[in-house]
Formats: sequence, C-alpha cells, structure tokens
Amino acid sequence: MSDPAELVSRAVDGDPSAFDALVRLHTPQMYRVALRITGTAAEAEDVVQEAWLAAWRALGRFRHESAVSTWLYRVVTNAAFAQVRRRKPTVSLDAALSSGDTELLTPGVLADNRADPEGQFVRAEQVDAVLRAIAGLDVSQRVPLVLREFEGLGYEEIAEVLEVSVPALRSRLHRARVALLAKLRELR
Amino acid sequence: MTTGERPDDPRDDPRWELVRAAARTTVPTPPGLVARVLQSVQGLRGQTTSEPIEVAFDGGRLRVSGRVVVLIARRLGTELARELDGVHVSAVALEADGLQVLITVRYGVAAREAATLLRARLRDGLTDQLGAAAPPVHVHIVDVHPN
Repeated sequence: MSDPAELVSRAVDGDPSAFDALVRLHTPQMYRVALRITGTAAEAEDVVQEAWLAAWRALGRFRHESAVSTWLYRVVTNAAFAQVRRRKPTVSLDAALSSGDTELLTPGVLADNRADPEGQFVRAEQVDAVLRAIAGLDVSQRVPLVLREFEGLGYEEIAEVLEVSVPALRSRLHRARVALLAKLRELR
Repeated sequence: MTTGERPDDPRDDPRWELVRAAARTTVPTPPGLVARVLQSVQGLRGQTTSEPIEVAFDGGRLRVSGRVVVLIARRLGTELARELDGVHVSAVALEADGLQVLITVRYGVAAREAATLLRARLRDGLTDQLGAAAPPVHVHIVDVHPN
C-alpha cells in the first residue's frame, strides 16, 4: 500500500512504518528538487534531511487540503530557501560560468542523447553549464523555474507550493526565464 | 514551435532547448540517502518520551527535551562538518550514553582526525548552548564516499 495520503494518515496515527514508507517513496523527488535549487550534492542531502525532519514535526498539522506531494514540495523548497540563505559568501556563481564553456552553448550544437561518447560528454557539459546558469539566478526565481521546467508542475500547484497567486507566479516565472536566457546568451 | 503564452517568451528561443535537455537528465538518488534520512527521523522519533535535560538559566532551570537536543546537535554538527572539507553528518540520535553522531567522509580525508575534531567542536558548541548538561558526544564514521 503506497497511497501517500493514506500513509500520512497512518503516520499521524502513530504508525512509524507509514512515515518510513513516505520517506522511501518521496526522497528521490525531494533530492532532485534540492539538488537543482542548491546546485551541490552535499547541500542537497542536508536539505533533504532537514526537510524530512520538518515534515515529521509538521505531520500533525497536515490537513489534507493539498496533495501530499504538493506539501512535500513546499517543505523541501522551504528547506532549500533556508539553506541558500544560510550560505556563507564563497565564490560567485556567475564567476563559475567560465568562458571555457561558451562554445558548448552555441545553438545547434546540442549533442544527441544517443551520440557517441564524445557527444555524450559534450551534452553532459552543456547540461552542467545550464545548471550553473540556473544556480546563478536569484533563489526566488530559481525555485519556481525548477518546479515548472524541471519537475513539470502546473501553475496552480506551484502557486500552492509557494503560496502566491497564479498571476504573480506567471510573472515571476517569466522574469526567471528571461534572466536565464540572458545568462545563456552571455555564454556565447 | 512557439509556446503561445507571450510574444517574447524565452522558451521560443533556440537556446531554450538546452534547458529542456537539462530537464530530461535523470538525477540519481545518492546511495544510502534514504537509509540516512530514516536514521535521522528515528533519532528524532526516539526522543518523544525521553526525559528532558535541565540547564541552569538565569537563576532558574530550563528544561530542554531530548528532541530539541537532537535538533540543536544536528544543526550545529552539519555546520561544523561543512567547515571540515569532506565530512558530512548523516544522522544524530540521543541515547542513554550520549549523542550518537553518524558521519560519512570523502575518500582521502584523514577520517580519524576529522572525527576527533568534529567531536571536540560539537561538544564545545553544545556546552556553549547547554552548559554542563550537554550530553557526551560520540562520532561514528559509517561510510566513505568517492567524491
């Protein structure tokens, strides 16, 4: 039995195995989001750990007014926001976009997924460059962008996760896309 | 292909295909992450019925639940571990003989020295916050990862 809403109900009633099942079911999704927001594996793991501890403590307040996955997206994005804001200043993320990547981002050179090893290497480099460009965005733009373009969530669900109106979300997403495209153009 | 939402929609730019390609890339969950999360949750869950520790505070006594001690230790330990390059706190639990802190270290890190340093710094940090009531700290290296 792996219906998330049922698992939450059982966990609230004190069944520890139900919460453990939720952890097994949703950790890949939580880690994916955390990694794309923070940009580093170590921070993403910390975010996932913090998020699950926060979810466990908040279980009793879950009212089933939103889907469990929506609630968990909210928990993990809040943990990621907190993590990014706690960061001590280090190397500028913009500076990490080295000039050596520029040729890789020329339109038309996107390597095919089924290409030879060299092509696959180029593609991996392209993806890394895009992820670094996303990591250079303000976190308030990065989070909705990750939820929409990477997780494929609908506008209504993202608005619910971020607790903003749909028009406000659309506007923020457009600004995020414009900012990201500008970063990709800078790399030419 | 156009998105049709706005005439200046960035998704209509050919470069946006790079974003779509990045989105199609799978993100593998790190080996052992689920187990480490479960250890952390169990470390917290086990504290719901334990006796709180008492801290002398402004002429009175402050009672701190075991759950809060675990949360403080986890946050502090995570921050201290980040200062030690290649060390990561996986889970924290409060047991009868003190705090059990499970860490993973990157291959090549002097694990014993790192664990000793983390234990000393965490013990100092907890003493700053909880005084003499701070529990003993035990650090266990539970995994080595390649990068």
